Amino acid sequence: MQKHSRREFLAHSAVAAGAFAFGVQPGSQSQAAEASGPSDMAIARWQGTGTPDDKQFKELSVKLTERAIEALGGIKRFVSRGAVVWIKPNIAFERKPELAATTNPDVVATLVRLCFDAGAKTVRVGDNPVHDARRTYPTSGIPEAVEKLGAEVVYLDRARTREMKVDGERLKMHPVFPEMVECDLMINVPIVKHHGLARATMCMKNYMGVVENRRVFHQDIATCVADITRFMKPRICVLDATRVLLRNGPTGGRIEDVDVQMQVAAGIDPVALDAWGAERLGVKPNEIGTITKGQEFGLGKMDYRTLSLREVVVV
Amino acid sequence: MPGGPRLRGAVQAVSLILFLWLLVMARQRPGAEPPSFSGFFFWIDPLILVATFLAAHAVPVLLLSALATVLVTLVAGRVFCGWICPFGTLHSAVGWVCDRIWHKGRKREHWSGWQRAKYYVLAGFLAMALLGGHWVTIFDPIVLLYRSTTTALLPGLQWAVEESSTAVFNWDAKLGPLKPSAVTEPCRKFLREHLFAVDSQSFIGSELILVVFVGLLAANAFRRRWWCRYACPTGALLGLLSIRPLLRRALAESTCTKCDLCSANCQGNAADGSGSGWRASECFVCLNCESACRRSSLAFEWDWPWRSEPVVTSVGLSRRAMMMSVVGGICTLWFFRSSPRASSKRLGYQARGLVFEPGLIRPPGARAEREFIQRCTACGLCMKVCPTGGLQPCVFEAGLEGLWTPRLVPQLGHCAYECNLCGQVCPTEAIMPLKLEDKKKFRLGLAAFDTTHCIPHAYGRDCMVCEECCPVPEKAIYFIETRIVTRTGEERTVKLPHVDADLCIGCGICENVCPLRGNPGIRVTNANESRNPANQPILPER
Repeated sequence: MQKHSRREFLAHSAVAAGAFAFGVQPGSQSQAAEASGPSDMAIARWQGTGTPDDKQFKELSVKLTERAIEALGGIKRFVSRGAVVWIKPNIAFERKPELAATTNPDVVATLVRLCFDAGAKTVRVGDNPVHDARRTYPTSGIPEAVEKLGAEVVYLDRARTREMKVDGERLKMHPVFPEMVECDLMINVPIVKHHGLARATMCMKNYMGVVENRRVFHQDIATCVADITRFMKPRICVLDATRVLLRNGPTGGRIEDVDVQMQVAAGIDPVALDAWGAERLGVKPNEIGTITKGQEFGLGKMDYRTLSLREVVVV
Repeated sequence: MPGGPRLRGAVQAVSLILFLWLLVMARQRPGAEPPSFSGFFFWIDPLILVATFLAAHAVPVLLLSALATVLVTLVAGRVFCGWICPFGTLHSAVGWVCDRIWHKGRKREHWSGWQRAKYYVLAGFLAMALLGGHWVTIFDPIVLLYRSTTTALLPGLQWAVEESSTAVFNWDAKLGPLKPSAVTEPCRKFLREHLFAVDSQSFIGSELILVVFVGLLAANAFRRRWWCRYACPTGALLGLLSIRPLLRRALAESTCTKCDLCSANCQGNAADGSGSGWRASECFVCLNCESACRRSSLAFEWDWPWRSEPVVTSVGLSRRAMMMSVVGGICTLWFFRSSPRASSKRLGYQARGLVFEPGLIRPPGARAEREFIQRCTACGLCMKVCPTGGLQPCVFEAGLEGLWTPRLVPQLGHCAYECNLCGQVCPTEAIMPLKLEDKKKFRLGLAAFDTTHCIPHAYGRDCMVCEECCPVPEKAIYFIETRIVTRTGEERTVKLPHVDADLCIGCGICENVCPLRGNPGIRVTNANESRNPANQPILPER
């Protein structure tokens, strides 16, 4: 999955060695290497502490997303002119964005704007929610945020799934929403959430919104999620940790369970991003079945620090 | 009035369109609530006002709008039946079609003694209402039309559209360059967005509702506006109010040739042969007679109520038959109440404690069973607005008295945590209009695992879809990691789910999402329901 040129490898090694020599954390060192070509993963975090007020929160969400994408090598790396892009947030449950059960609408809207700026022809936003989409979408605030930018909000038609060859370990043929697979690029934009069974739901598990008949997945969630992730061939994921749901996920509903962390990560490796996300929840990545299974399937690396990683700080 | 019938037809059309528009707008639309006046036609219906007042001793404020109808009726007769009632409009439309089909064999109809039947029916029903039975409203024309359209006609149409468009869509691939789905798919999308409620909404027992509805419409082939003339309880109530209205038909005997054209065109069979013996209580003020008369011998004119001219013939109700109806109504109610499934006042529940129907999960905010049944008109408005399609008409779950009243069937749709629409739209407040925060605490029932086939309990595999979807912020379903021994002697940890009885609100999403379809591993019953202290067997721990 991860292909490194020899030059890249040498450069990383040099940086790492230098960092080691000067006793600096690898993360902060790589920040110095900003804007020098693409990276595998980028983390943007807010310098401030405490909880920003509503207005500041909005501005920071936009900035964090912009900077994370920029540090990843810019959206043009993924979006070509005239492309049809599907942005897949997590809008599974009918909850207000403050309750951190759905992706931050400002993060989604920023991505929509970046895609259009990069010349995308169509940007569609949609999910296959657990609750009725006609209730989850408006409550999440996402349609309101993206429609004014010209994105299409799609209400999926469950009678129009198609049996596709997933060819995974568990799932051989499965009903998939064709419009989500047949776009030029899917940007997966989940939120970091606690999950009772899987312990956490982030990038990989968000791909469950691409298929129907998901109920049986739970009996072997790690394999099923890894199967779907492999089928979807992730190219870019943006992990929203502006708000993180620490307990009682994935539905949440109590403001006490929400932790405002003001971070956004972007990357090409869903396993690495999930490992980073797990740490946001205070869970070791190797305790999460989907992550270990993902690594086993060769979908990415759990140890995200070994990738070409950039960290940027937003003030 | 020249062009009277034409004007009446226009008003009828507008009224029917408004009725259907309100019905269609009451579906789940993204980010929009149904119109605040969704219940308009119920509010202006005097029968619902009278029945709710008699049965529940309650007068929901908006129902007082029906006094306007009463006033109009006292002044101008059964204008409501002839001009406003959407069910009446449908009958006159079907009658018009029948006239076109069988115009040669059309018999001239005149007043028939059988038209008294509706008054006797009403008397029986009102006697029942006096003792607390609200059953009359399930035969109210507005209710009948709303329920039939919501639960039978629209879902039937939706099913036909969904199935046929899907068939065309799947067929497309085999047709090569010919693409019929290029036409059908946009149509389907339009209908899904602008007409239909939720995905595959359908209702239990809608067959019977449809049979009644189609039967009543078909009766027009036998007698035009059969329902309005012979059976409609609202028509009977308005008929009683319009025994001597201010607007009356006046016949100029001098020019009348007794050609009988007026009676031939009469929608209500208000007169005897050759236009004599006009009965105000049977007249819909449709103005057909006036326009049909070739010599202009007929006209509607204003008169004082104490004047007996022009002659207003009474319908001649018999006291003996009236008494029989009253006794019949009372006996029917007693019969209903003797059923083991009927509501009981003492227990606030069903059946003298004999039989509990665990599947009778009433909507959030529903009053205690007896009070609920005394108000519910079974109109289907709550079922229409329910975003998940989980509210379904009862068949016999609440006894015959509770026929077509709403209950939640979690396998068809759960009660959405952030929704309180059913209480907002209920015209008689049988479902109380709870605020959202109160609704979230209102218990519909309690979930219980059936460990004999719940997947983790019975088969030792993790599952937890129910826990995942539980909308209660603290999670009413929790799991305990338990060591189990498999068949081969291998030890394994399984997350075994349990229900927290203190937190569960009985919304039913757990039952709805359980992978075991048909026989879910977790089921909701109405135990612990907030509305009924007699049915709260589990003491709270905190």
